[in-house]
Amino acid sequence: MADLFSPSVSTILSERDETPDTRTYQLRFRDSQEHERFVFRPGQFLELSVFGVGEAPFCLASSPTRRQFLEVTVRRTGQVTDALHALGPGDEIGVRGPCGNGFDLAAAEGHDLLFIAGGIGLPPLRGLIWNILDERDRFGRVTILYGARTPTDLVYKDELQLWQGRDDIELFVTVDQAEPGWEGNVGMVPILLEMAELRPASTLTYVCGPPIMIKFVIQDLLMRGFAEERVISTLERTMQCGVGKCNHCCIGHLYVCRDGPVFNYRQIREMVE
Amino acid sequence: MRPDDALSIAREDLPEWLALLGTRAQMIAPTSGPHGDVFYSPVSSPDEILWEFENSLQPPKRFLLPQTDPLVKIHSDGGRFHLEPVCDDRRQILVNLRSCDLKGLLYLERVHTYDLPDPSYLRRSENRSLVSLACTEPCPPGFCICCDAGPFLRHGFDLQMTMLSDRMFVEVGSDKGRSLLEGAESMFRPATPDEIAKREALEAAARDHFKTETCHFGSAMRRISTGRVAEELWEAMGDWCLECGGCTLICPTCYCFSVKDRRVDEGWVRCRTWDSCQYAAFTLEASGHNPRPGRKDRMKRRFFHKVSAQYYQRDGDVGCVGCGRCIKVCMGTTNMPAVVEAIRKGEWHG
Ligand SMILES: Cc1cc2nc3c(=O)[nH]c(=O)nc-3n(C[C@H](O)[C@H](O)[C@H](O)COP(=O)(O)OP(=O)(O)OC[C@H]3O[C@@H](n4cnc5c(N)ncnc54)[C@H](O)[C@@H]3O)c2cc1C
Ligand code: SF4
Ligand code: FES
Repeated sequence: MADLFSPSVSTILSERDETPDTRTYQLRFRDSQEHERFVFRPGQFLELSVFGVGEAPFCLASSPTRRQFLEVTVRRTGQVTDALHALGPGDEIGVRGPCGNGFDLAAAEGHDLLFIAGGIGLPPLRGLIWNILDERDRFGRVTILYGARTPTDLVYKDELQLWQGRDDIELFVTVDQAEPGWEGNVGMVPILLEMAELRPASTLTYVCGPPIMIKFVIQDLLMRGFAEERVISTLERTMQCGVGKCNHCCIGHLYVCRDGPVFNYRQIREMVE
Repeated sequence: MRPDDALSIAREDLPEWLALLGTRAQMIAPTSGPHGDVFYSPVSSPDEILWEFENSLQPPKRFLLPQTDPLVKIHSDGGRFHLEPVCDDRRQILVNLRSCDLKGLLYLERVHTYDLPDPSYLRRSENRSLVSLACTEPCPPGFCICCDAGPFLRHGFDLQMTMLSDRMFVEVGSDKGRSLLEGAESMFRPATPDEIAKREALEAAARDHFKTETCHFGSAMRRISTGRVAEELWEAMGDWCLECGGCTLICPTCYCFSVKDRRVDEGWVRCRTWDSCQYAAFTLEASGHNPRPGRKDRMKRRFFHKVSAQYYQRDGDVGCVGCGRCIKVCMGTTNMPAVVEAIRKGEWHG
């Protein structure tokens, strides 16, 4: 029986600054057999530990189709994230997981897919997006709407350009506030819904971002005729164990760390706190 | 009760039997503390064990779920980390557990076995034997009878003892329980029909004893499970909560925890430590947002976990064993029976 609380030692291979407070790390289990054995779905998360400081949950931002390393994108906000930002290539951290349910890729097969992300909401969708792009034929049209506060706050800037250049994806990006040199859209994420060609009947929509953005976007989608069950989001709660035991992440009798973090909007609406 | 599961031993032979058990495992029993308070603690001689006592304020859950529970040892040499899971393989025999507390331990076992089993908890529990002493005189604030947790138990114990006048009636509930009799066979004999009748009579008398101490979970469960408890009622009750967390710390079925790294000489130990859903920081998010900002929100959480049909379905029981400890400990009187009663009647006394 696997031990629920023992992390595996992993090595940081490289790091990349995304924004002034957000960084992407590439990780590999120190034991390469363990690395090969590790399987996950997009939308699942890891409990990362900085030894001596503590553990925190981060979604897997890489795709299971790319197995050389795992990627996580971390925003500095407190003890563990500060300590993570102080580490770099060659340093060792703990990895426990994968935790949570993840996205149901089989259910997405054959559908048009709409991704809507705000700010640091892109990382959980990025793994799914790359998975889909690596198996492009299985899916219909792919549309990505992404917004951040300022151009500086956009994550994965290189990849946004890469996606922009592909003709099998439609990408729309906006910022709340422009900066010198920005020639793109200005306005909140919902304005992108006006620009994209939407097909509510054939589309599954994935929405991740700050709670306030999620709220407005989902209201908008429902008004445009998207079904609640086909609007999928991820929830965030303070977590400790990540394995359904400590009770920190409960919403009613549901455990975000086990039953989630991925839920459709109907499930979210029916939750009783 | 199968005939070979019902035995008896002369009360004057108990010390010898328990001393024998003490050579095989650490004995945990109710003892009298320096100021007369009762504590479950390790004993080195059967003389220290209490046989007539008011149940301890601290439940014996810490022998299965220590307040600080080391999980993994971590040390580093030159930046390379080494991890070593900690396992507690100590053999312990918990004797003179009250029925409610034993039932509480069964509940804890279930939540740690449910969904993803927790090997560190289960390993510890395999090494514990649970011997209860049935309550022939139920304690004043207890309402175990409403929770199917006493005054006598039907199952779940390794051994259940009932004090008769000059003999101790002993029921065997498991193979682990039977193994506690090994080497002491000569002290035990099958219970006589008369002894069985006496035990039954004691249980009936104990059940009769409950009059005013009741807790009607049924109607409260219906309301809590469907969100049909008025916000104003939660608000009124929340006002009486002092956020001390006492109810959760002394509750035999509460098990919320946090995970922390503690510095030890050569490195760290990752520990599970008791936490409480009644503390505001329990759900505080990194953004500063708190999904349960008010005392009423946290109180709602506690009673949803303990009394909702959703959890009842999952765990097969309410999350309360009727020990009455929260009645004693809560300075704000928002204890289990008071809250259940308020929900049932739709009004709070405060
Ligand atoms: C399923 C899931 C997936 C996630 N994925 C990601 C991801 O991919 N990327 C990502 O960046 N984040 C992600 N998060 C969020 C991330 O887990 C949190 O940012 C992280 O737990 C913060 O931990 P910390 O130890 O750095 O912060 P903590 O030290 O726990 O501090 C958190 C916050 O508490 C407050 N605080 C701390 N100490 C004090 C104090 N002394 N006084 C007052 N306030 C204080 C501060 O506001 C601080 O920002 C995810 C969360 C979940 C649940
Ligand atoms: S809720 Fe109160 S009465 Fe019930 S088991 Fe917990 S402490 Fe005992
Ligand atoms: S994080 Fe511990 S139960 Fe979900």
